[in-house]
Amino acid sequence: MASTEQGAAADWLRQQAQPVRRLLRNAISYGAAQSVLVCAIAWLVAQVLAQAIFAHAGLADLRWSILGVVLLVLLRAALLYRQRACSDAAGRVVTQNVQRGLRERLRQLGPRWSAGQFAGDLVTRLVDGVDTLAPYYAGYLPQAALAGLIPAVVLLAVGLREPWSALVLLLCAPLLPVFLILAGRAAAEASTRRWLRLRRLGARFMDAVSGLSTLRLYRAAEREHERVLAAGEAYRKDTMAVLRVAFLSALVMEFFATCSIAIVAVMVGFRLMSGHLGFAQGMFALLLAPEFFLPLRAMGTQRHARMEAVAAAEGLVEILAVPVAAPLVATPAVTLKTAAPGLVLRGVHASQGESGEVLRGIDLAVPAGSRLTLVGPSGGGKSSLLAAVMGLLPLESGDIEIDGHALQAAGLSTWRAQITWLPQRPHVFNGSLRDNLLLARPDADEVSIARVLRMASLDQVVAKLPLGLDTPLGERGLGLSGGELQRLAIARMCLRDAPVLLWDEPTQHLDTATATQIEHQLDQFARGRTVLRVAHRVRDLGPQEAVAVLVGGKIVEQGTVAQLRQPGTAFAALLQEDLRA
Amino acid sequence: MNWQRRLYELMQPQRGRMLAALGLSLLASTAGIGLMAVSGHFIASMALVGAGAAAINYYTPAALVRLFAILRTGGRYAERLCGHDATLSILARLRGWLFGRLIPLAPAALAQQRGAQLLSRLRADIDTLEQSYLGLWLPSAVAACSALVVLIVAACWSGWFALLLLPLLLFAGAWLPWRLQAVHADDAAQIDRDAEALRAAWADALAGRAELTMWGAEDAFDARMEELTAQREAARARTQRGLARADAMLAACSGIALSLALLIGVLAMQQRHLDGPGLALLAMLAMAAFEPLLPLPLAWSRLAAIKAAAQRVFELADRTPAVLDPAAPAPMPQASDLHLREVWMRHAQHGEWALRGLNLDLAAGTHLALVGASGAGKSSLAQLLGRLYPYQGSVTLGGMALDQLCADDVRERLAIVEQTPYLFDASLRDNLRIAAPNAEDTTLRRVLAVAQLDEFLRELPNGLDTWVGANGVNLSGGEARRLAIARALLVDAPVLVLDEPSEGLDALTTVALYKALAVETQDRSVLLITHRLGGIAALVDEVAVIEQGRIVTRRAVEGFAAQTTDNLRDAG
Repeated sequence: MASTEQGAAADWLRQQAQPVRRLLRNAISYGAAQSVLVCAIAWLVAQVLAQAIFAHAGLADLRWSILGVVLLVLLRAALLYRQRACSDAAGRVVTQNVQRGLRERLRQLGPRWSAGQFAGDLVTRLVDGVDTLAPYYAGYLPQAALAGLIPAVVLLAVGLREPWSALVLLLCAPLLPVFLILAGRAAAEASTRRWLRLRRLGARFMDAVSGLSTLRLYRAAEREHERVLAAGEAYRKDTMAVLRVAFLSALVMEFFATCSIAIVAVMVGFRLMSGHLGFAQGMFALLLAPEFFLPLRAMGTQRHARMEAVAAAEGLVEILAVPVAAPLVATPAVTLKTAAPGLVLRGVHASQGESGEVLRGIDLAVPAGSRLTLVGPSGGGKSSLLAAVMGLLPLESGDIEIDGHALQAAGLSTWRAQITWLPQRPHVFNGSLRDNLLLARPDADEVSIARVLRMASLDQVVAKLPLGLDTPLGERGLGLSGGELQRLAIARMCLRDAPVLLWDEPTQHLDTATATQIEHQLDQFARGRTVLRVAHRVRDLGPQEAVAVLVGGKIVEQGTVAQLRQPGTAFAALLQEDLRA
Repeated sequence: MNWQRRLYELMQPQRGRMLAALGLSLLASTAGIGLMAVSGHFIASMALVGAGAAAINYYTPAALVRLFAILRTGGRYAERLCGHDATLSILARLRGWLFGRLIPLAPAALAQQRGAQLLSRLRADIDTLEQSYLGLWLPSAVAACSALVVLIVAACWSGWFALLLLPLLLFAGAWLPWRLQAVHADDAAQIDRDAEALRAAWADALAGRAELTMWGAEDAFDARMEELTAQREAARARTQRGLARADAMLAACSGIALSLALLIGVLAMQQRHLDGPGLALLAMLAMAAFEPLLPLPLAWSRLAAIKAAAQRVFELADRTPAVLDPAAPAPMPQASDLHLREVWMRHAQHGEWALRGLNLDLAAGTHLALVGASGAGKSSLAQLLGRLYPYQGSVTLGGMALDQLCADDVRERLAIVEQTPYLFDASLRDNLRIAAPNAEDTTLRRVLAVAQLDEFLRELPNGLDTWVGANGVNLSGGEARRLAIARALLVDAPVLVLDEPSEGLDALTTVALYKALAVETQDRSVLLITHRLGGIAALVDEVAVIEQGRIVTRRAVEGFAAQTTDNLRDAG
């Protein structure tokens, strides 16, 4: 199971490399070109040394060669820079692409999916997880290609000048991957295990910090403190045992590489002494021998980057694999008039995930410019009905009509532009008070902002803030009380200024005086608009309110409060329960 | 005291390991340099013999080559072990230290950031700090020492070369990394800040998705996130370009040093100051000299991140706890009756008052329900009694002022089930044993039965070993809450405070739970905090109503519901 997930994640990682193929190819070419330059530099250096030592050549004879070394070295540095620029760019491009894809996905998944997620975990995956992807593209992928290319170039170069040394390297070459696989597998496994343990230790520490209040209440914090210290120490001991093995395999590999170089050196040395080999050729082989093993050894550090990327990709693939409901047709076929429309629901059925069927055949009409209040026990389908009207909950059957046009034909975005919605739990966005208002209507001017603040009785609260409308809210800023939050949401709603109002208990969290005041303002605001609202507090409804009672996803009663307040009705039962609470 | 000093002091106990790793690393890198230099010399001497020069003693250089090869590979291995050992010790100590500092801060002094954000940052910051030794200080020290060794060796063969190599090494090893971190410090901070903003934006995108959809603001919001990502990637691009440039310049310096070695060596040979093997040695030395400097640009580009992480961690650790134990705690009184007089309390220093002059008496053995709307201050009272938040006014336990007592002693008397109890990513057994580390399984089963979890436990194939998952994800809300109640019962405290125990329970289970609790707590006091009146008569004798932070009425539970209903109806 775990391996198939890893496989899927690895596949996905490779797919993301598609758009940056050219960048990666360039990076690899620049890397390969550098290895050619390294060979050329080694050859020049060997020549200079040979001529200076054996031909007693002076600076006058050698200056061009030395200048050649300088130029080649500078060229190599420039290529190195280009290689890095390309591979780093590939990492950044993929990061941005993935972020874009995830944003798109979240949009498709919509509010219903988002509401059911653990935000903390998901945000970590979306930000910190995505951040670990770049090294895979900037480091691992190009290095993996170069680990094959560079030794080939070096081998070819050595072979042209000193075939015997090349033969030694060639004989070592197949052994090296064998060792790499043998030692590498053990090392990879050890480092995976270590990495997993480290994550578990980190997770455990965070778990303890998250539950610190609970630990304190049970006088367990000091015990846990000792445990944290002990766990760190135990982890150190365990890990060191693992690392000894892992590093030992690295040692074997390194020792092996050193041995190969030593064989070349000894062979070259004694063939030089016996006069069978020119110094330049011998020196050239010796200078290049370490370059042959370098890229293979560099792979070790890149394996970690791949491991982290695969782990992060697993978390992302999971999000990307969530099935998306087919979107409603969004092309507007009709133009809705801007005046308050009438709303009709006919035989509406809808289901929602684990809750099953939440709406079971709703027939309802809200005439243009009138107000209807939905009441019922929690779980009765009130909020689902609002969601269906907003186009957030796909219908299984039935129709929603706006002024006689089917919702699908009107187009969702056109329809939503007609709606102003007051949610049950309004979200405060990270940003200033003003940002929070402007998100609802970006083109609002100061006059209308001041007006809606008055309407929501928020003007005095804002006047008391030293930064006024620029006061930061949300994560890092000052917290608003539940009541102020609700009033902010009301201000936002009024700012939207659309002909259809959908309210989800607008005066909850408010004290009685403020509630009455805002109720009055809302009544004024609602004049001439079509209103569909949810009320949890039945006792506050006036006798002339039009009410529909929703129980188990069906409308069981409908009428004015005065009509429904008869003994034995579902409405009366609700009233009774509400009064008791 | 600056952050480096403090960080160093935290690592101080590991000084031995750290110095050993440094020594070994230095040995390995010096051996690497020696290996190159000696083999160059050796090869040239051998070739000279081949060309007719007098035979040489090739045993000494050959032995040196072997020695250096062994020292290099072996030293690298020992250094890795030692360095990781030091880092792991630092990790253990850093986490332990920080946890100790966080204990008195939770939750009051940690409340400024929202939990998830605080934690994810903390995790990243600790990771960064752990790596500061292996990632920054060790390679820097090794580079400095081995550069010195190279210069001394170079000076033995050619003073001029050493003189010219010095500025090159200084430029590549000191100026380049220093300049890199100075120029990109702002970018590093920006990347950090933008990550933070990005996290907040994603959190908004998730929690505020419905609003964005309904306002047609998704395009605008996505555009803002795109802009934020682009801005962050632009800062990252600048940093990466700077790093690539520094690495390229380092490579160029290494090549220039090689050319200088050839140039000066050839000149010296012409003037007969240097022999052939000496020239080969200088060339190889020049090539090896820059190898220890290679990790420096990357290491130093992390400095800003390490500094920021250290400052954040220290800022957190230095916060003042909201509730401090008295210097000389009063002895614990015998009795456990609670009296609150004119108690005011708020969660933040300048926040709104949650309790506004609350008066409440809970005589020993009383079972009282505290009811009221959400936001009336019910849960604040529980947090106050648990000594998690400071208060004003007078609270006495057995006649002794609460703030004169040691908080942990108070918690021995008051077992509190929070409104949102935390469950740990551990087994059922371990979650229960938090309250009583030595409790036997039979005791655990008994309290679980009181919490109406016996049937639930029977159905679990792994019984008490069942893993509850991070914050109890494997349990339903009602199960998690009852598990927390069982945990509180293990404390066997004379006062039991239950905050919303019936949340997520159906009416039948609630009543059964209350009945079982009533039997269990016959000779204890119970403060039941709830906004749901259903079934409370099974557990409590009296009901107090809290409104806007004060008690407005208190009466016997019999007929309470009916009376309130009537009152409300009259008022309506």
